[in-house]
Amino acid sequence: MTLLFKHYYAIGLLLLTLIWCHLVSAAPASIKIGEINPLSGRLAKQGLEIHQGVEVAVAEINETGGLEGRRVELISRDDQSQPDVAIARAEELCAWKKVLGLTGGYVDSLVGPISEVAKKYKVPYVASASLQKELTQRDNPYFFRVATLQGFVKPLCTIISRHFKPQHLAILHAATPGSTEFARDLESCLESHSVAVELMEKFRPGTPDFTPLIGKLASMDIDVVVSGGFFADHLLLVRQLKENRVCPKAYIGPFGIAYESFIREMGDDANYLFSTCAWNPGITQPGTEKDSKNFVDRFRRMFDREPNTTNMHGYTSTRALLAAMQHVLRQRKPLTGPNIRQALAELNLDLPMERLSFDRHGDPRNYHHVVVQIQKGRLVAVYPSDRATGSAIYPVPSWSQRK
Amino acid sequence: MWTTVLVSGITLGCFYTLIAMGFALIFGVTHIFNLAHGELLVLAGYVAYWLWKTLGLSFVYTFPAAILAALLVCLVLQRLFSLLSEPLELNSIVVSFGVAILLQNGMLFFFSGDYRLIRIPALSHGLHLQPFYLSYAQLTLLVLSLLVIMILYLLMRHTYMGKALRATIQDKEAAALAGINVGAMGILAFAIGAVLIGLAGPLYGCIHYLYPTAGLQATLLAITITIFAGIGRIRELILGGWILGLAESFAVVLLGASWREMVSAVMLLLLLAINPQGILGKEER
Repeated sequence: MTLLFKHYYAIGLLLLTLIWCHLVSAAPASIKIGEINPLSGRLAKQGLEIHQGVEVAVAEINETGGLEGRRVELISRDDQSQPDVAIARAEELCAWKKVLGLTGGYVDSLVGPISEVAKKYKVPYVASASLQKELTQRDNPYFFRVATLQGFVKPLCTIISRHFKPQHLAILHAATPGSTEFARDLESCLESHSVAVELMEKFRPGTPDFTPLIGKLASMDIDVVVSGGFFADHLLLVRQLKENRVCPKAYIGPFGIAYESFIREMGDDANYLFSTCAWNPGITQPGTEKDSKNFVDRFRRMFDREPNTTNMHGYTSTRALLAAMQHVLRQRKPLTGPNIRQALAELNLDLPMERLSFDRHGDPRNYHHVVVQIQKGRLVAVYPSDRATGSAIYPVPSWSQRK
Repeated sequence: MWTTVLVSGITLGCFYTLIAMGFALIFGVTHIFNLAHGELLVLAGYVAYWLWKTLGLSFVYTFPAAILAALLVCLVLQRLFSLLSEPLELNSIVVSFGVAILLQNGMLFFFSGDYRLIRIPALSHGLHLQPFYLSYAQLTLLVLSLLVIMILYLLMRHTYMGKALRATIQDKEAAALAGINVGAMGILAFAIGAVLIGLAGPLYGCIHYLYPTAGLQATLLAITITIFAGIGRIRELILGGWILGLAESFAVVLLGASWREMVSAVMLLLLLAINPQGILGKEER
């Protein structure tokens, strides 16, 4: 009797194991995508913001049933703001974790190495924040990005040459590839519009003192300053401009000013500064207001704060990758690198930040910034006129005229 | 413009000196190469920022709290370093590098990666002293760094404790033979270093800005100024700071902003080649 029970018991256990194995193999496998961002180190702030945007896009797709019923699994890695670590993480994701696509990435020095690894393994990579022209001219069919330098240069060049018409213009830029290219492109665009650039200066990001440079600006009677520095550089430069009582007619910082956190840290001194912005909770592509609101609501639920343009860059790049994968699955093709790459090349997607489609180099075709000015602690779109929510205050009041 | 550059060079030098003083003292007495110096300074800055921002404490009153926080962490670090075996310099580099990463990640967790600024509206005004303008921020730096250097100088020259510290800096073994408790001097150096870090931290958040990895830059600055001044030379620290600050400021105006770091690096290399003992250092015979 005991022996018979033992046999039944063993057979039952075997049957249960077989059923479990069948169920597991029958469940649709999740789709793995990889994300590499600087989550620690000097670029941690921006990297974390991109990461949050990526998380929103993945949560959104999984809440609506995933990609054709398959759940999306996000594998995040920290490149520690170092290119060599970025390469190691990309190798790990592509070779070991076998991800089907890569997203995220902040600054060209980190995005560039990741794009090369992606090319080696034929894994499509949609970078969230990359500007350097060289990266899309390397004949890498697996590299796409959602931002381009011209998106910054064109609106700034137009507003400066047509509306500000400065007598003495200075362009200061950080010693990074993206900022240097931005400065050169803006200079050539302005010169083609007969605006001379009186002073062009490069500085290291994180410079501890701008006072000598401010002395130079004052002695040259510079009336419009374009500063291609970043968030922290603006914090210091604007404060030292105030301390030294130097007030140009316009201070324009395309990178790092149009952020709620910048306005919060600078307080009233942030007022009247100009910047550019691809997206903001109040500034979205016409016709995408509902999607924009959905993104903002979801972001608030997930992170308990307002999203910014960097978050949106992370979201946009991930949405592009997921949309391409969905397209491949709907066509009942295998989800392979070359197929996803092809779908990305043919992508046409209306998103809050841009109508996303890529040119043959992988650059976005419709990435346009709006020029914004901080007025009473809020971002006001001032150019182009069809997207303006207010008028530019130019020249800005001097420091002593401000309350 | 030239007077503005001169003033900015000197105040920048004062800022550098304040950052470097704690490092120089600790290294001089204990030979511990504390790579987490900058992180301690930023931590003190964050403590001040937190008290100023969330509790609305006046900026001046944040200094004691920042000093206390620096003192606590520095004494724990001193205990940790005291467990190290020889070669102390090399082992302390490895351990302090680990501590620096630990502190960076801790600050990232508690204060996020956002850049923080202690905004003191009064410091953005200043004095019109023809032919230049001196902001209160610059004046504060100038006065505070001179005051701290003076107090430290008097302490080191005219008190038994200071003389014992100097003796330990010059020759540890000889100091021990003369009856000086070298171990206690190490603790004392860390304590004074912590006070200096606690003073510099809030100012760093006010004059510069805070973020979790800002410490690396501060550590490099402290190392540069210490080498410039010469190991264990407190008075020369301000001279080293001024020379570097002035060189950088004039380089910006004469050569361009991109030459700033190049000029200070060349000066440091030249000094190491010509006089490795520091600016006013003499070769020991």
